[in-house]
Amino acid sequence: MVLESKIFKEFEDIVGIGNINDGEVITNTYAYNWCMEIFNYMEGKEPTPFSPTPKAVILPSNTEEVQKIVKLCNKYGLVFKSQSTGLGPWNQPSTDNSIIIDLRRMNKIVKIDEKNLYTVIEPYVSGAQLQAELMKYNLNCHMPGAGPMVSPLASHTSMNGPGFTSPQTGHSARNVLGVEWVLPDGEILRLGSAGMKNDPDWFHGDGPGPSLRGIMRGWAGAKSGIGVFTRVAIKLFPYPCSTDFNINGYSPNYDFDIPDFMKLYVMDCNNFKKLESVMLRVEQEEISFMCSYLSGLAVMAIFSNSIESLMDKMAIGQMKAPIVVIIAARTEREFEYKQKVMDLVMLEFKLKNIIGNIYSPQPIFYAEALRSNLGLHGFIATGGFQSSKGVADTAAVCLKSTKMNIPLKKKYIKKGAIANDFGEGTWMTSYESGHYFHMEAPTMFDQTNEHSVKGMAEYMDQSNQLDLLKHLGAPFFVEGNRMHELFGPHMSNYHIWLRKIKKAFDPNNIADSGFYILPKEN
Amino acid sequence: MCKWIPQLQIKSQKYATICPSIDMFNFHTYSGGGRIIIALALEMGRVKPSEELMKIVYQCTECGGCAIACKFLNTLEPLEIISKLREKLVAKGHGPMPQQQEYIDAVKKHNNPYNEPHENRMNWLPADIKIDPNAKSLYFVGCTSSYRRKEIAIATARVLNAAGYPFKILVDNEYCCGSPILRTGDRKTFRDVLNRNLDIIEKEKIETVIFSCAGCYDTFKVDYPLERNYKFKIRHTTELFNEFIENSQLQLTNHIPITVTYHDPCHLGRNAEPYQEWNGDKVQLMPLVSINIPEKIKRCGQNGVYEVPRNVLKKIPGIKLVEMERIREYTYCCGAGGGVKAAFPEFALNTAKTRIEEAEDTGADTLISACPFCSTNLQDGIKEAGSKLQFYDISELLLKALKSETKHVKESAVEET
Repeated sequence: MVLESKIFKEFEDIVGIGNINDGEVITNTYAYNWCMEIFNYMEGKEPTPFSPTPKAVILPSNTEEVQKIVKLCNKYGLVFKSQSTGLGPWNQPSTDNSIIIDLRRMNKIVKIDEKNLYTVIEPYVSGAQLQAELMKYNLNCHMPGAGPMVSPLASHTSMNGPGFTSPQTGHSARNVLGVEWVLPDGEILRLGSAGMKNDPDWFHGDGPGPSLRGIMRGWAGAKSGIGVFTRVAIKLFPYPCSTDFNINGYSPNYDFDIPDFMKLYVMDCNNFKKLESVMLRVEQEEISFMCSYLSGLAVMAIFSNSIESLMDKMAIGQMKAPIVVIIAARTEREFEYKQKVMDLVMLEFKLKNIIGNIYSPQPIFYAEALRSNLGLHGFIATGGFQSSKGVADTAAVCLKSTKMNIPLKKKYIKKGAIANDFGEGTWMTSYESGHYFHMEAPTMFDQTNEHSVKGMAEYMDQSNQLDLLKHLGAPFFVEGNRMHELFGPHMSNYHIWLRKIKKAFDPNNIADSGFYILPKEN
Repeated sequence: MCKWIPQLQIKSQKYATICPSIDMFNFHTYSGGGRIIIALALEMGRVKPSEELMKIVYQCTECGGCAIACKFLNTLEPLEIISKLREKLVAKGHGPMPQQQEYIDAVKKHNNPYNEPHENRMNWLPADIKIDPNAKSLYFVGCTSSYRRKEIAIATARVLNAAGYPFKILVDNEYCCGSPILRTGDRKTFRDVLNRNLDIIEKEKIETVIFSCAGCYDTFKVDYPLERNYKFKIRHTTELFNEFIENSQLQLTNHIPITVTYHDPCHLGRNAEPYQEWNGDKVQLMPLVSINIPEKIKRCGQNGVYEVPRNVLKKIPGIKLVEMERIREYTYCCGAGGGVKAAFPEFALNTAKTRIEEAEDTGADTLISACPFCSTNLQDGIKEAGSKLQFYDISELLLKALKSETKHVKESAVEET
């Protein structure tokens, strides 16, 4: 399905020759994404890794072009799906009457405000790019667990956003300041101080009147279902230690000069009750750069760069309730203080740090922690993984969810659909020094094996049902009409309000609703 | 992943990318991952061979940057998939691109891709170069140095003479190594070429073959053994030069007060890492999880030639070496490889200009490399960009540093490509 030549020409006039393509090859490559097969199956379709094929892909270079494209989509009744770095099925169109707006050419770091601790970025700036530039100012940004290659703009405006450094850098939803937003009807809305009449700037996300940040993204984001975000200001943080970042050697066996004031603790709390107490206690002291619970197998994985090297670490995998803490400091005095606090916590809870005693990771681990690369280790066992759950709640609820998920996971492990992590495969992190917590259940499957794909999809569906049945909170993949209608009635009928927002902002239903909500009930 | 240098190596926004193809054409389709999707879509019958598909598959320099970035944690092989995709297209009568077919035909007819008369192949050779017909080492000059970058062949031969290293050349029996053919996916013709070359070299009872061309070196070292084993040793000239310096066989007396930066050729670096034979077993540990016993070493470019050329440069009096951001196994391609220079010259030139800008940003006044094909494209890029950078192959620079009685480079008129 290609665009009518007249319509194609109108789009081409906006972006220039070479920046729109409706050919079979290009449109088909944009129809593929990681884990699409699971989401297809969950929606009752064939478990193929391909979504509907868009009619065309277009590459705007600035906000004005995006605005014109969106207006043209409204004129011709074409659905648009925008994407930046494009990881995951959330970037896929739900209909073939669509075009993809690929924001790759919008890749500027517009501003780094060192004094006021924020940066303004365009969609295709990656986390690693931004962090590399921020390190020149001794600053850091929040990066989601998805990894350093994804777009901070996408994470902050449109997706859920927990990360390994969340104890210090929070959650994407909490770091959004000013936003430039092309609404689904083509109007440009500038949020907060970016929309001021005189001297607009980006330092604040709200102004007088109700906050639009909640409407824009809420907790989990609209995945392009409510327009296109072309610029965002996000909060910055002090870099946790020295910004000297020296990688030596060759991939994949890189060496790293560990910064002077950085220390890793991996301690077995033995049970979830104690784990909860330890996590709360560590976070109460506001000293951690990273504070996560990971299953024994997941701890093995973050220290490994291949399945073979993972198998060398079985001793680590025996831990029943491991907590992984990193402290980092910029001065010796700060570092000594943090170490003393950790010593006291370990004394209080009778914990032993296995690092330096039973095990010492390769130095590159510390580089990956600083660059938020650890989540990508989830791929090394089977080549594919996806998370269920995604609750944001108290530590107690997160651990309750972890425990209750174990029998369910074991059921699908027994079926041979997902890899055996003893049912315990969970990642939990504190946000903002323990103000609240995140929990998700990364699960390994084989995306080339139909039995595994179908089993994984069934497991995710069952996991969602369990969340409802046992009041474990909303998983972060509550998205799309079916899921919102499933969860909404149990959660203050939020789906009715979400639908009203969609109707108000997108009267023609032009922004793809596949991972958001339809303006009308099914 | 495939669009970026390894994430941990990113030092700036400007030089974070690794794929010249998507840098030029922007659509995801042009990345390593995009081309894997094309291969899958072709297998599934979602797309058919077409002019559009051909262009996309061949608008790739096969530099292998995507594979290095991907394999830091993963086991996907984007470069191998791209190569197989091309082979499949050729086998079904769709590939290669017409300009590439022209140079393949030229190899078949004249033994070189430049369509030059075979009898002119030795025209680069000055009369005073000492060739030892009884030497056990062979200098395989290669088509580009023979016909287009004669200064590299001359400088190489003079440095070998200065070091007292006996070598012979094949004269009328030297033919194209097959690299430009293989990269287009024409494996059948490549096999014919390699068999002829190996027959000749083995008949000469050669112990060591020396290459100043990274493309020839990579092809002999990595690709030939996949088709047919041989017993002689393979050396790149930079490896020999470094030994000459270490063994005091060369006297570097001339002071050369320049600041240089070194461009790692893909075919001397990451792609020159040979495949390691693996005869282990894939053992299923549990459903969905298998491991290789013994571990199958990932080919991540760590065994390319990186330090040796840098050592040579550091030994030349007066030279200050400064590094670009994208180096060694995550170098940025010069833009010429994979048949791109012939079929898509504008793409090749734009990529070269990107690399030139990166070299300029180091503050260097001179760009050095160790491959005649990189040399051609980077010099084209310098010219097109109006850059003030000087360019030398490492052999030329080394020759300049030798005692003054040695004839210097640029002595022979150099034809432009």
